Amino acid sequence: MAFNILVTDDSETMRAVIKKTVSMSGVPVGEFHEACNGKEALAILAETWIDVILSDINMPEMGGMELLKKVSEDEDLRKIPLIFITTEASDARKEEAKKFGVAGYVKKPFQPETIKAILYEVLEKAYAHRLEDQPGEEDAGESDF
Amino acid sequence: MDQDLRRVIFETFSEVFETMFFTFLEPLEEAPGKEDLGQGRFVEAAISYSGGCNGRFLFYFPWELGKNITVNFLGVDEDGVQEGQVKDTAAETANMAIGGLLGKLDPGGNASLAIPQARVLAEFSPETLLGEPGLCMFSTEFGILWVVGTHA
Repeated sequence: MAFNILVTDDSETMRAVIKKTVSMSGVPVGEFHEACNGKEALAILAETWIDVILSDINMPEMGGMELLKKVSEDEDLRKIPLIFITTEASDARKEEAKKFGVAGYVKKPFQPETIKAILYEVLEKAYAHRLEDQPGEEDAGESDF
Repeated sequence: MDQDLRRVIFETFSEVFETMFFTFLEPLEEAPGKEDLGQGRFVEAAISYSGGCNGRFLFYFPWELGKNITVNFLGVDEDGVQEGQVKDTAAETANMAIGGLLGKLDPGGNASLAIPQARVLAEFSPETLLGEPGLCMFSTEFGILWVVGTHA
């Protein structure tokens, strides 16, 4: 069974690179959805079934941390794992993100293997039953979280 | 700008360029001769931060450098690259480079990055940057990357 993935980043090229990285990772993707800030991401989440959110932090209008807080406050949305892919990797940011239930943290610049490893780790935790039919994945990188 | 900061800048920027664009940087200690400055079309990317520490960095990419890192970043043909993608890549480069730098200079994470901005300069001469106290120059196979920064 495939996963619907929401990629949230204000950089169109970064969204394209993340989508390409995920597509090549072997994760079964149903549909990709894209948002350029937290506000757009919430609008998509209100109308679309999303299985995992990959989000930047530093974005205009509504940043990734506020998006995470909104998601964590919503009874339905809080079940959706959110992974940060961001340049902001200070201990203070990571602690704040952890407090609001972030599922993973990838620091930019990233190796494709790191995204693959963390995505599989997060999907296995959240949707183990849906990954049962997929081929096994070897550890290919280290989480920055 | 002191030598320790220059060393951290070089290490951080190299990580970004090598990991994301497969492009190697070589720090230049002295300005090149006038004929090697590479006047012409450039992409300028600007980013600032404030909070625990304050700073502003301006990146000047010769067009060939901007285009080639975009090609490597997106994995597209050189002919298919659009101006908006080059600007976006330049802005994202500034974001990753200075975000990484800030992680080292302000590990407590009190400073916040602003949103990076990028624009195309149709006719720019890096000669205007010579003499800037925060100037760093990096040689690449697609021309010199010019960076002017302040950090306090």
